[in-house]
Amino acid sequence: MRANPGNAADRIEPVVLVTPGLALIIGAFFFPVGQILILSLVPPEEGLSIWANFARFFEDDYYLRVAWRTLKLSVIITVATALIGFPLAYVTARSPRWLAFLLLLLTVLPLMTSVVVRTFGWMIVLGRGGPVTQLLMALGLGARDAALLHTETGIVVAMVQVLLPFMTITTLGVIASINPFLEESARTMGAGFYRTMRHVVLPLSIPGLVSGSLLVFALSISSFVTPNLVGGVRLPVLAGAIYQQATSVLDWNFAAAQSVLLLGAVLALLVPYLALMRRAQHG
Amino acid sequence: MVRRFPPSALFGGGAVLLVILTFMLLPLAVVIMSSFTASQFLVFPPQGFSLRWYGEVVASTAYLEAAWVSLVLATAVTIASVAIGTTAAIAIQRRKLPFAAAFSGLFLSPLVLPTLIFGIGLLIVFSVYGDGPSLAAIWVGHVVITVPYVVRTVMAVLADADPFVEEAARTMGAGRLARLWFVVLPQARSGIIAGGFFAFNVSFDEAVIALFLRAPGVETLPMRIYGQLEFSPSPEVAAVSTLMIVMTVIVIVLIERFLGLARVSG
Repeated sequence: MRANPGNAADRIEPVVLVTPGLALIIGAFFFPVGQILILSLVPPEEGLSIWANFARFFEDDYYLRVAWRTLKLSVIITVATALIGFPLAYVTARSPRWLAFLLLLLTVLPLMTSVVVRTFGWMIVLGRGGPVTQLLMALGLGARDAALLHTETGIVVAMVQVLLPFMTITTLGVIASINPFLEESARTMGAGFYRTMRHVVLPLSIPGLVSGSLLVFALSISSFVTPNLVGGVRLPVLAGAIYQQATSVLDWNFAAAQSVLLLGAVLALLVPYLALMRRAQHG
Repeated sequence: MVRRFPPSALFGGGAVLLVILTFMLLPLAVVIMSSFTASQFLVFPPQGFSLRWYGEVVASTAYLEAAWVSLVLATAVTIASVAIGTTAAIAIQRRKLPFAAAFSGLFLSPLVLPTLIFGIGLLIVFSVYGDGPSLAAIWVGHVVITVPYVVRTVMAVLADADPFVEEAARTMGAGRLARLWFVVLPQARSGIIAGGFFAFNVSFDEAVIALFLRAPGVETLPMRIYGQLEFSPSPEVAAVSTLMIVMTVIVIVLIERFLGLARVSG
């Protein structure tokens, strides 16, 4: 090793390069998120406890119903995306190159399309007189004015489509890393296809399914564009209520308290998600 | 010799796949079909074929203005995001930045936190410490959520690039800036371009942060579409939405061309 005269400069260079990004992330990301925490503890009136905003949430039947609906729908949405996402990811991982590329393309295209555009599509599909109504009528199951728009079922259907790519891509990463020889050995040893799926592929895919589910659940409880437009005003979810409080009612302290509850739930899910992803990358 | 996939799995799997793909593409297909309707209102299936709604969009100042705002915003976001993300990625991947793993986690964190929570935080900060929401505020928010894409694509490309090229340049007497400009940046080129397209697409399509930071007289295209959908969906909205889908397809083709979809999503 030769003596390096640029040693000090070598240490300074990466620091200089990383500074603008670091300033942005701390100042424009962590600082605003931290502000929510502070504001949520400012009581609406002098003399009230710092927990007043949270107490208001838990004492009001309306908000408890909104929170319950949000949780219930998010659980259903998560289970549905896992059930659909797993076979899709498996087929993508084990397909010939051209088919795998096509499937990936068809997963990424909806993902990268604006959420307002996709939601609009579901408003037409689920709306009165739309394809779903016509299908139900043809099957003799529904009347002319039957529609899934403004129903909880409608919210679930649209949200599953919006969030499925996250589940597929997360699970795909894990399935692609499973050695195909494991499946082949199970088959040569006499296990059938379905038995191999159940006892070899599925157990090895669990980390992907779990981290995909955590991500989908976290995104689901905090979505408001799709639930607001598909569910309408009579089926508010937590994120929609926060949006209303923050932009129409302008009650920031209460909106901040609701966001803190949401943030707590999201972090409780994201911490294990990130830990799983790290293990999947290094393991 | 065992058959790799039994016929029941092949046929069943094929059928399930077809249903899933229909489900994924249905909303986009319906929007595109509806945009060519000749009727006054949204009906399904669309009546006749006409380009009148595209004509209406092109003649509407409200849509043109919103499209212009979105275009300017997405361009400004892309420039800032590429500059900040590329330098950060070089520092983490190529230079011996201490705690590199922690830093890369830090830069990717806006990707995992739901934008709703970030949006309300920005609204509070700009209202308490600034003059309230504005287009500039939306720009800041969009730069934060797009930087992770640039960091990720540039880091991925640099990880595969040969570090000894730079070492050679150094031995030949190239200075610090010259090595960054003539060696590292060209090596990172495809990642920078793909990350830039991602940033542009995310900003152009983004609705949540924009809605939270809604200021009087400032309207992006997704904000306008959201407003129309709350108020009264029309074939005109379908035409605008179709144009946005076309734009997304173009961006995906460009990303595939410069980096490859599989590498970005994997």
